[in-house]
Amino acid sequence: MSVERESTRVLPSIPASPGLITSVLRLLAVIDDLPKGATGVLKFGDNGLILLESRKICWAVARSMRLRLTDILRNQSTPPLPREAVEEIYRRCKIDGRPIGEALVMSGLVSEAGLRVALFKHNGEAIAHLAGSGLSPEAFVSHTRTGYDPKFSFSPCEVLAMLGSLDDPARALAAQIELGNTLVPDSFGAAFVRSDTVSGALVIAVDRACDLPVSDLVEVCNWTAGLFDVAHTFDREAALARATWGGRLALVTWRAKDVAYVGVCASRAAAARLVSRLESTAKSSGVIAAAARYGGPA
Amino acid sequence: MRALSQPLGGGPETNPLDLVCAQASMKTGALLDRHLSEGVRERLEGLAATLPDLFGTLDPTCLVRIAERLGGEPGEATFGEILLLSDRSLHVIQPLTSQPGVALVAECPATSSIGMVLSAIRARIVSMEGG
Repeated sequence: MSVERESTRVLPSIPASPGLITSVLRLLAVIDDLPKGATGVLKFGDNGLILLESRKICWAVARSMRLRLTDILRNQSTPPLPREAVEEIYRRCKIDGRPIGEALVMSGLVSEAGLRVALFKHNGEAIAHLAGSGLSPEAFVSHTRTGYDPKFSFSPCEVLAMLGSLDDPARALAAQIELGNTLVPDSFGAAFVRSDTVSGALVIAVDRACDLPVSDLVEVCNWTAGLFDVAHTFDREAALARATWGGRLALVTWRAKDVAYVGVCASRAAAARLVSRLESTAKSSGVIAAAARYGGPA
Repeated sequence: MRALSQPLGGGPETNPLDLVCAQASMKTGALLDRHLSEGVRERLEGLAATLPDLFGTLDPTCLVRIAERLGGEPGEATFGEILLLSDRSLHVIQPLTSQPGVALVAECPATSSIGMVLSAIRARIVSMEGG
């Protein structure tokens, strides 16, 4: 019996270049600019494609990438999945026109979680290659055929965060856990750091509900970073903030060491719950000073 | 119009929250109340000075797009109330709807309940705007 390994979230074949995130942001912004519900193929000529369903990334491939999904899936298990079994399912899917990942789950060879991790790696790598090549999409061809399971599709924010996490995967994993432990119903969020590789915030983790345009997510993160900068001019220990807008929306932001978090709340009640949770976590951890809990000024 | 500046009461008995507030310009960050005591000015000056940064650096259309993604009305393109918390203090910034470009800035010890502080500030604004 094979055992799936914990996700490392690391994509070893992606070259970590300083301009990677900037070029990925540019490419993901193209997806964000598509109409709501856009379903179809973003074509890069012979160099690759990105398949979208309701503006979420279902599948991406770049000619220059080295790893195939089947390789990722096989190597995610210990011992690796038998090549013949995987390739047999691949052959049948090609004939039937079914997505291979879902067929592998049906076969019991791969778990849903394992497939999601593998697809995430595959698509992230493809997008990094496409963005890194400097090519712009040649066309978006929309179609009405749907069928990808939403569980196995990814928002541009998720892809951005995955590539941002390459800098320090352990830190990104800790941030992901912090988001999961802290966010409340009716809220979603992101974690970011300041990095030399980008001119502003580097998003390193998001929760799965985070589906903002990537440029807006980065804009909010940059504003949040600035908020703490200016707050520290008069209160060096400021570590938690809430800002409301519209009739009911709010941002809640907090810090832990060198990582900052932002929670976007769809209701005032969610914002109040989130602030209350952050306050009580600080108190119950035995740390009276919120700044000690949240890390204080960087 | 009644002045918003200074402590909400005359002493600990009438101002148990130890809350001080004043009006400030969101464009310049200057405190607008001329008759503030030195102590109140000291507590609020730094907060007031941040207003141009807090309200002038975020692309307003960004908040509109986020509101749309959340399924809400586009609503306002700028922040309303902002709270800042530390282990020492609770700071509040509340733009005044009756005076565009002006915000109430307030500060009190962090031991105060957020709800009670916000209620006190809102009551103060209502009283000022209606008075």
